[in-house]
Amino acid sequence: MDSGINIICFAASYAVALALELSGLWATVRFRRMGEVLAAAAGLVAHTWYLGRRVAEQPAAPLASQQEWFLLAAWVLAVVYLAARFYYPSKSLGLFLLPGVLSLIGAATLAPAKPLVSFEAPRVWGIVHGLFLLVGTVAVLVGFLAGLMYLLQSRRLKLKRLPTTGLKLPSLEWLEHANSRALGMATLMMCGGLLSGIITRLAQKGSTLKFSWTDPVVISLAAMTAWLLVAEVFRRVYPAARQGRKVAYLTMAAFGFLLLVLAAVLWGDRFHQPYGTAEATSVERIAPQTLLRGGEK
Amino acid sequence: MKLRMVGCTHREANLDLRQRLAFDDKQVAEALKQWRVDLPGTELALLSTCNRVELYAAAEENTPDSQSLVAALARFHHLAPGDIGPEIMTLADREVAEHLFRVTASLDSMVVGESQILSQVKRAFQSAQTMNAAGPRLNGLFQAALRAAKRVAGETTLHRHRVSVASVAISELATCVFETFDDKHVLVAGAGEMAEETLRYLQDSGSPRIHVVNRSRERGELLAEKYGGKVHPWEELSEQLVKADLAISTTSASEPIMTAAEFATAISPRRHQRPLVILDLAVPKDFDPAIGDELGVYLYSLDDLHQACQRNQASRAAALPAAEEIIREETVRFVAETHLRASAPVITELREGLHRPKEAELERLFNRLPQLDETSKQEIRQFADRLVNKLLHSPLESLRDASQSGTHHGLLEALRRLFKIES
Repeated sequence: MDSGINIICFAASYAVALALELSGLWATVRFRRMGEVLAAAAGLVAHTWYLGRRVAEQPAAPLASQQEWFLLAAWVLAVVYLAARFYYPSKSLGLFLLPGVLSLIGAATLAPAKPLVSFEAPRVWGIVHGLFLLVGTVAVLVGFLAGLMYLLQSRRLKLKRLPTTGLKLPSLEWLEHANSRALGMATLMMCGGLLSGIITRLAQKGSTLKFSWTDPVVISLAAMTAWLLVAEVFRRVYPAARQGRKVAYLTMAAFGFLLLVLAAVLWGDRFHQPYGTAEATSVERIAPQTLLRGGEK
Repeated sequence: MKLRMVGCTHREANLDLRQRLAFDDKQVAEALKQWRVDLPGTELALLSTCNRVELYAAAEENTPDSQSLVAALARFHHLAPGDIGPEIMTLADREVAEHLFRVTASLDSMVVGESQILSQVKRAFQSAQTMNAAGPRLNGLFQAALRAAKRVAGETTLHRHRVSVASVAISELATCVFETFDDKHVLVAGAGEMAEETLRYLQDSGSPRIHVVNRSRERGELLAEKYGGKVHPWEELSEQLVKADLAISTTSASEPIMTAAEFATAISPRRHQRPLVILDLAVPKDFDPAIGDELGVYLYSLDDLHQACQRNQASRAAALPAAEEIIREETVRFVAETHLRASAPVITELREGLHRPKEAELERLFNRLPQLDETSKQEIRQFADRLVNKLLHSPLESLRDASQSGTHHGLLEALRRLFKIES
C-alpha cells in the first residue's frame, strides 16, 4: 500500500490495546482505559483505511480475496469491541475480544491475497453470500467468547472468588443474553449464507448437480450450519438449554465447527480455486467460483 | 481567615453523647438560624450524622472561642456545657481543614471508605447555605474538602472495596450474576436484622419483587410491608425457592431449613438450572452447603462473605497511605490559597502604588517631548511597564513563598509600612 499503512500497523495497535488490558489485571495503570480506547481506535482507523484503499484499487474488494474476507471479519469484531468498551467501560471484555480480532488478522496473513477469478454469477448474490457468512462468523466468535466468559465467571463464583479487582466480567445474566442472541444470529446468518451460496451456483450454471459436495469447506460449513440449527431448536424447545452453562456449551461447540471451517478454507479448500490451477477439479471448471472467495466457506 | 470546629465523633464520644447532641434536618435549620443571631459575623455549618456532630465556624479575623461554640451546641439541646465537655473535640485553623478533608474522604468514618459521608457533608453545607449561615470562607473550605474527597476516590482504590456483609453480598456477588434487580424474585426466609440490611442495599440497586416467608407471620408482615413485599406461609418455602432468583436466609433455626437431598429432588428439577444466588446469613447455617454444588446455584454463607469483607478491608488498608498523602497535599494547598487570598488586597495596593506614579511620570515625559511619535511612545510605555513588573516580581514571589509556609504575616506588615499601604 502506497499510504504506508499495512496489516502490521493496525495489528500492532490492537496488540497495544490488549497489552494495556492485560496490565490492568496486575497493576493500576493511570489512564489505562483511555490508552486502550485510543490504541484500538487508532487500529480501527488504520484498518478502515487499509480496507478502503483496497476497495479503491479493486471494485470487488473488500470481499475479493480470502485475506480480505478475514480482514473484514476482524474489522467487524474490532467495532464490536469498541462498542462494548463504550457501553461497559469497567469490564475486561478486551481480554476476550481483542485476541479474536488478532486471530482473524493472523488468519488473514495465512490466507491467499490474490484476487479471485472474475465471477459469472450475479454480483448481488455474491455479496449477500459473503456478508451472510461474514456476520455469521463474527456472531459465532462473539457467542464463543461470551460463553467462555460465562463459564469463567460461573466458575469463579462457585469457588467463592468475588471479583473485586483485576479481571472484571459482565454479569452471568448479560452473558447469557449475549450468548443466546449470538447463537440465534449465527444460525440465521449461516443458513442464509449456505442458501445464498447454492443460489449463486444455480445462477451461474442453472444446476448444482456437479457441485463439489465432498469439498472440506462445503462439508464443514454444512456441518456447522446443521449444528447451529439443531442447537437453536434445542435451545428453544428445552428450557434448561435456554439458561445457564448449557447455552455456553452450545456456542462453544459451534466455535469448534467454525475452527474446522476456517482450517478447511485455509488449507483444504479446492472448491474455490480459479480455472487452470493445479488444484482445480473438473467440477470446479464446470462450476466457476464466485468472486466472494471466503463467502463459500 | 480563622477556622474553628467543635464536636464529637465516634472516636472520642460514646453513642449516648452522640445521640444527645444529634440534629435532624429540621433541627439543623433551626440551630443555624438561632446561631446566626447569637454569633454574628461568623460563618457556620453543622454536620450531624450517626457517627459525628461537628460545628464548623469561620471568620476573617477571629472566630468565637471553643467554649462559646460548645455552649451553643449544648444550649440548643438544653444541656449544660459541662455535661459534654470532656468528650468534645476542638480544632483550629489548619487542623480544621485537615479534619474536614479526612471526614469527607471517609478516612475518619467508622467504616473507612464508606460512601455515604460525602453526601452528608454536601447536605450539611447546602443547609448552611440555605440558611445564609455559610459565606465565601466556608464555601472555600467545603469545596476544597469535596475536591480532596474526589481525588481520594479517583486516585486510590479505597472506595472500591466494600466491607459490610450486606454490601458485599449485593454489590459484589449478586451483581456478578444479575444485570438488574428490577424484575427479580427475591425470597427472604426469616426476618432478621441482616435480612433487612441486605434488603436496604438491594432496594438501592433496583426494585425487585420481595417475598417473605417467616415462621412468625407477624414479623414477616412487618418486614414485607416495610419493603413493599408479600408475605407467604412458612410451608411455601420450597415453592418460593423454585421461583426465586435471589434467596436471603436469616432464620434462627437450629437445623438447616433446606437439605441437599430435598433441594435436589423438590427444587432443582423445577428450576431448569436457572441461576439462583443463596445468601445464607444465618448462624447456624440454614442451607446445606452441598446445595452449592447444584448447577446454577451460587451459595454463599456468612463465613464466605466475611472472608470477602476481610480481603476488602486489607485492600483498603493498603490504599490508606496514598489517601492520607492526598489529604496532606490538599491541606497544604488549601492553607496556601487561603494565605494568598489574605494577601491579595496588599498585592493589589502595592501594584497600584507603583502604577500610579508610573502613569504620572509617563504623561509628564510625553508632554515635555511632543516630537515623539506613537511607536516611540509605545516603546517607552512598555519599558515602564516592564520596569515596574520587574521591581514587583521579587517582593511578590517572597510573599507567595511566605504564604505557602504560613509565615507571611510579618512580610505583609513590612510591605504595608514600607509602601504606606493602608488596607
